[in-house]
Amino acid sequence: MHPRRNSIRFAAALLATNLKASLMLRGAFAMQVIFMALNNFTFFVFWWVLMRRVPEIRGWRLTDIELLFGIVAVAVGLAITVAGGVRYLGQFIEQGELDTLLVQPPPVLLHAVGMRSQSSGFGDMVSGLILIALSGQVSWIDTPRVVVAIVAAALVFAASGILFFSVAFWLGKSDTVARQMWELVITFSLYPEPLFGGVLRLVLFTLIPAAWVGYMPAHIARHASADQLLLLTSAAAGYLVLAAVMFQRGLRRYASGSRFGVFG
Amino acid sequence: MNRRLMALSKYVAFARLSATHGRYDRSELYGRMAFFVVILGVFSSLWRATREAGLAIAADPKSLVWYLASTEWILLSAPLMHVDIQETLRRGDVAYELGRPVSYVGATFARGLGFVASRSPLLAATAFLCAFAFTGWVPPWRALAAVVLFGSIAIALLTALHLAIGLVAFWIGEVTPVFWVWQKLLFVFGGLMLPIRLYPPVMQRLAALTPFPDILAGPASFVLDGEAVAARVLVVRLAMWCVATTALVQWMYARARRALTVNGG
Repeated sequence: MHPRRNSIRFAAALLATNLKASLMLRGAFAMQVIFMALNNFTFFVFWWVLMRRVPEIRGWRLTDIELLFGIVAVAVGLAITVAGGVRYLGQFIEQGELDTLLVQPPPVLLHAVGMRSQSSGFGDMVSGLILIALSGQVSWIDTPRVVVAIVAAALVFAASGILFFSVAFWLGKSDTVARQMWELVITFSLYPEPLFGGVLRLVLFTLIPAAWVGYMPAHIARHASADQLLLLTSAAAGYLVLAAVMFQRGLRRYASGSRFGVFG
Repeated sequence: MNRRLMALSKYVAFARLSATHGRYDRSELYGRMAFFVVILGVFSSLWRATREAGLAIAADPKSLVWYLASTEWILLSAPLMHVDIQETLRRGDVAYELGRPVSYVGATFARGLGFVASRSPLLAATAFLCAFAFTGWVPPWRALAAVVLFGSIAIALLTALHLAIGLVAFWIGEVTPVFWVWQKLLFVFGGLMLPIRLYPPVMQRLAALTPFPDILAGPASFVLDGEAVAARVLVVRLAMWCVATTALVQWMYARARRALTVNGG
């Protein structure tokens, strides 16, 4: 069979196994989903309170922020559900835990990021979908375009995580810094775009790609723009290629943990 | 030596050891300092934008940035004691901890305060420097002194409350969901990002029934013009919550010891 098709089949099987494993502990799964959704809504209380007094901030109304929050929540939830292993990449690299993956046929990066699906990602997705619905800005006709934008945003988010955590190949223990950089992507993507200008704006389109995770998909959802959708999907592809190249380069420097253990 | 002083010296030793650990392991601290730069930068821009919109929101944007710097300083200075307690139980290490000639909760709290002592001053310096950098303004020194004084008491109270959440692990094992709920209530009813008086009246009344506004909004409100709660009222309320938390922790610990099943170890 074609190697690429093999990889896709493997990724699908890995995702299905992860989902089954998450659903096995139904109580814990439900709790994680509910609490993550509550977590997101609690954060949104700030905007509800503020926008009662200030109906518009540089052209952004409450419904625009609901849409932005919703899209980011669904994209982040999708990324950590499907590629939950990204969060652990630094730990795998630093502690030599990639050993068992290196001797298996599937691609190492695909295997590493496809493990450890985060149940809380479903909570993000549920709350995100509710916020998108509340915004009233997405009709059924817009849905396919919004779905593509969200998937592209999730890919950018996952790829940026791979980039940040792969730094461990060169710097060793950098897990905390990488995690915080990854969290910055979420932090910046949750605020209206016009708040940021100058050099920071450039940073948000490159080093900390919050613009591709939040503003751009939200803009595409509000204004049907084939050009911008093409730009977003190209950015997603670019970040993915960059992440894969960096990981492969780093893998050449990888030093084994030389330890016996069960991994998964 | 006086027996009480000797007993106290044990806890001081725990605190000093923890402070030393805190000084050496700084990666998380640097992350928190970077977070200050980002969040205060974002919010100074947000408050400028709200002013541009021509809509006053009850306080000067500069003082709102200082308010956020103060609430975040209190929040980020309190160590997450519940994680340590949960891990101690999960690994079964609690069996060794309980055998020591010191109170387990006393030693854990002392460790927490040691951690606070090593990080809180640096976080305060970062918070206040960032707030100054983004606003070009410094609140009156008396207001800042009040924030530091009452904020320090609030950090100790918050550390003790995290400890109480950790003790819940004796019954349910995993306390992360409990912490999440607690944390979100603290964010909302504590007035983390917005002063409580901007909330709808129903939320203000609900918040007043909890310790959250006394932990965050109370100390931080000294930097808001004419909005500081009376210092005397805050002293009384903080003292009341400290006594209640001490009683709660003691009661929970006594019951937890009876409910204990030692794992691993």
